[in-house]
Formats: sequence, C-alpha cells, structure tokens
Amino acid sequence: MSDTILNVSDLHASYGPLSVLRGLNFEVNEGQVVVILGANGAGKTTTLRSICQMCDTEGSITLRGTDISSKGTADIIRLGVGHVPQGRGTFAELSVIDNLLIGSYTRSDDGVQADIDRWFEMFPILAERRDQLAGSLSGGEQQMLAVARALMSRPELLLLDEPSLGLAPIIVEQLFETLQRLNKEDGLTMLLVEQNANLALSMADHGYVIESGLIALEGSAQALMTDPAVQAAYLGA
Amino acid sequence: MDLTLLLQRLFDAVFNGGIYASLALALVIIYRATGRFNFAQGEMATFAAFVSFLLLTGPRPFLRGGSVVGLIPGVPWPIPLAVLGAVLFGIVSGAATERILIRRLERKPDIASVNVTIGLLLTLNALTAELWGTGGRFFPAVFPAGPDDHLLIGGARLRFTSIGVWLTLLILVLLLVLLMQRTKPGLAFRAMSTNRASAELHGINIGRTLAAGWALAAGIGALAATLSANSVLLEPSMMLRVLIFSLAAATLGGLDSPKGAVVGGMIVALSQTLVPAYVPFVGNELSLLPAVIMMLLVLLIRPAGLFGTEQVERV
Repeated sequence: MSDTILNVSDLHASYGPLSVLRGLNFEVNEGQVVVILGANGAGKTTTLRSICQMCDTEGSITLRGTDISSKGTADIIRLGVGHVPQGRGTFAELSVIDNLLIGSYTRSDDGVQADIDRWFEMFPILAERRDQLAGSLSGGEQQMLAVARALMSRPELLLLDEPSLGLAPIIVEQLFETLQRLNKEDGLTMLLVEQNANLALSMADHGYVIESGLIALEGSAQALMTDPAVQAAYLGA
Repeated sequence: MDLTLLLQRLFDAVFNGGIYASLALALVIIYRATGRFNFAQGEMATFAAFVSFLLLTGPRPFLRGGSVVGLIPGVPWPIPLAVLGAVLFGIVSGAATERILIRRLERKPDIASVNVTIGLLLTLNALTAELWGTGGRFFPAVFPAGPDDHLLIGGARLRFTSIGVWLTLLILVLLLVLLMQRTKPGLAFRAMSTNRASAELHGINIGRTLAAGWALAAGIGALAATLSANSVLLEPSMMLRVLIFSLAAATLGGLDSPKGAVVGGMIVALSQTLVPAYVPFVGNELSLLPAVIMMLLVLLIRPAGLFGTEQVERV
C-alpha cells in the first residue's frame, strides 16, 4: 500500500450562495494518476479549485497528513501542489521564458535554470519560442507551457484541469504521452480532470465519477472502463 | 516665427512634462496592478509634500494647533532629506491605503473604486486644508532655481530645475524598468497584472504585490509633488490640475505603458504651451483644452493609446 498524498473528506464547496460540491470523499496515492470524470457542471473544476482554496470550502483536505483547508493558495503551492488550470493560465503578455520563471516563483534554490533546460528538452517547441510572447503561442503550445510552468515549482502533486480541451487530437495524444512519461519516469502523482474519458482512463490508475457534487462511482481505471454505466455516459459505447 | 521664442516655449514645457510624466507613471502602475484609476493619486502626493514641508519648517510649525514638529528629531531637515522623507511617507501610506481601503473593493464593481478614490481625493484635500490652511506656501526648490541657474541655448533658457526634473524622471524610469524586468518582485508584479488568477496559482501573494504597487506609485507621486511645489506653490489643490493633465498623458501614452506615460506627459505639456501660443482662439485659460481633446481623440481612434497593449486574446 503506497502512501496517501492527498486525502479529501466530506468536501463541500461553494461560490457565494451557489453550492457546488456536497460532501466529496476521495484520495490520491503517491505515484498514481487519478482521474475525475463527470458531465459539465458536475463540479470537477471546483474540486481542483477547492484543493488550492480558490473557492469557499468546508470539510477536510490533507496533503501528506497536513490540513490545507484553511491555508492560502500561495502556501498550498509552496507545500508542493502544481495546478494547470482550465484555460491554461497563460501570462499572454510575457515571454515564454518569463512564464517558466513565474512557475519557479516559490523556489529559492539554484536549480531553476537546469529545470528550464529540462522542460525545454521535453517540449522543444517551447525552447524555439522562448523569447516570444506566450499569448502568440498556439493552444497546444500554451497547454505545454502550462504544464511546464506548473512543473517548475517541482510539485509532488500535479492537478490538471481538462488539458485536452480545445486541442487537436494529435496534439492531445502527444500531450498525454508526455504526461504518462512524467508519471512513469519521474513518479509524478497526478489528479486529472477530463471530459475525454477514454484517454484519461487509459493512463489512469484510479478514477472517480462526479455527479451533481457527489461521488457517484469509483474504482480502478480498468473497472471503470468496463463499467456499463460509465460506458453509456462517458465512453459513448 | 520667432525661433528663440519657440525654443523658449519648448523649454518651458519640459518642466511640466516631467511632472505630468511622473504622476502619469504612478497612475499607470496602479492601472496595471488593478485595472483601475486612482483618482486620489494627486492629493496623496500633495499630502506627502506637506509632510516634507513639515520636515523643512523647523521650529515654527504651520500645522494648525500642532506641535508635531517638536516630535520629529533634527527638524529642520535639509531639502534632499525632506524630499526623501516625503517619498518614504508616500511609500508607507500608499501600502496602507491599499491594505485598509482598496482591498475591500476588490470584488466590487469598478464604479465603487471610482467613488472611493474620488472620495479619498476630496477627504485628503479637505484634511490638508484643515491642517495647513488653503493659502499657498513657499516651498524651497529641490534643484538650483535662481535667476542665473540655466543654460542658454539659442537665446532661450533651459532652467536647471527642468533638467533636474527630467534627470530624476529618467533615473526613475530606468530603476522601474530594472525592478520590473530583472527582479523577482517585478516578475510577480508583471505576472499579477497579466493574469491574476494564474499568478495566484504559482504562489504569488496577490495582496502583498498589490500593496507594493500602491507603495511604489505613491512614492513616485510624492516625488512629483515635492519637485513641483516650488514652482506652483504648496497648497492643498496644487496637484488637481496636474492629475487631469497626467490622466490625459497616461491615456494618450497607453494606460499600461510606462514608456507611454513619459511620452504622453511630454506631448501634453507641449500642447499646453504651444497650442495657446500659436492657435489664436485658444487663450491661456483654455490650456487644458488641447489635453482633453487629445484624450478624447485617443479614446475614439486608438483606445489602447500610443504604446498600450491592445486587448487581443487568442482562444
């Protein structure tokens, strides 16, 4: 049994009067890729935002045993959470290299340049465009930049919010190959929110299905893939 | 056309241009940080200049009913130290204003922020008048300003104060560029002004960065007010006109561009001296007119200004 990195129990979340999550329980173990599936409006994005305290939450969220539900976003990032937000969070008016430096904002060690070189190697197109404004990059390039930027903080847990959204299938395939490599080679733990259930389950270890703010189903990725309810609702089988 | 006179008018514009540019720079910093104007920028600067005056006045405090001067060690301070004191006061009070007042407006609509900063303008103006009275006071010149302190170029006089203001402005812009482009707090500021939610997700403390932006802007404003207090006389409304010209300058140059603020400040100052001099029906009383017309034209033709970022988004 591997160590639990993230444990969420009885999580309620709301935006002002609008309640979105109504008592969520799930966990993410070290080295795993965990996927959260669900229809539009089910609360997937809110789940990730809750972990970083970007909305009002109740309930417990622990990162390696430390309760983070009352901490500020900046502190949670410092504790080792990387967040690739929906819409990619690009700093459009800044260069690619500055975008990566922002990713290393919480660090004070001298390994930043080495990490930049490393991600440039993994995403060569970013190296080519290092001095361009990030806003001029294509959607796929911006998504790669968002992943690389989040990795610059050397997170233990990477949250990915619909990375495939709006990308051409070939780009999505490349991106997921890279993510899989990061998981296999670096042992990076990921919590992935996706609409593309097929793709997500194929690289995940474990999965949860959210329906109207509650966990409707959970199981190993394989079990979910063959589950008739999941097939009917999300896999189009 | 009398060339010497033209040259003199150009030189006359230099001093005002430097002051407008400085205050426009402060407006631009806050606009970049918050997407909003601080209409109280001028009055905050005036108040800081009065603090500087307090440090300069020595044993005869002009402060109504007050003996505050007695509490400040070493008063009267020499002028450079008193200016520095005003700048430091600006920095601290700027950060405090953000922390206490402006942060509460974060999630409120823009109009709330407009109302509050205009309210702050009126409050500070009244407070300054209450403490020091409404009469103009002599404030010593920061740079040599005697009758002979000028360079004679083509028969026209370029005063040392004008040169001093521009040198100060250039150093200020240079430091600002270094701060923004080469330091980590500068990177945090640029990240915040480009995409605040994303900046937060990279561990940037938005509150602290905003407060730093307000501190910086108020410090620059304080410098602008103390540098101009000698020529316009120190009085509670001394920066009101300057604020309007600086708003025009910032709009003209592009609201998010420091370079635009400097160029805009100069263009506005030039229009202010040249248009009344050479356009027959515009008298000195209408010297505000060209600035306002330019502001209007910019907003109609090129809302992003000369150097501002146009809002283009790739989706």
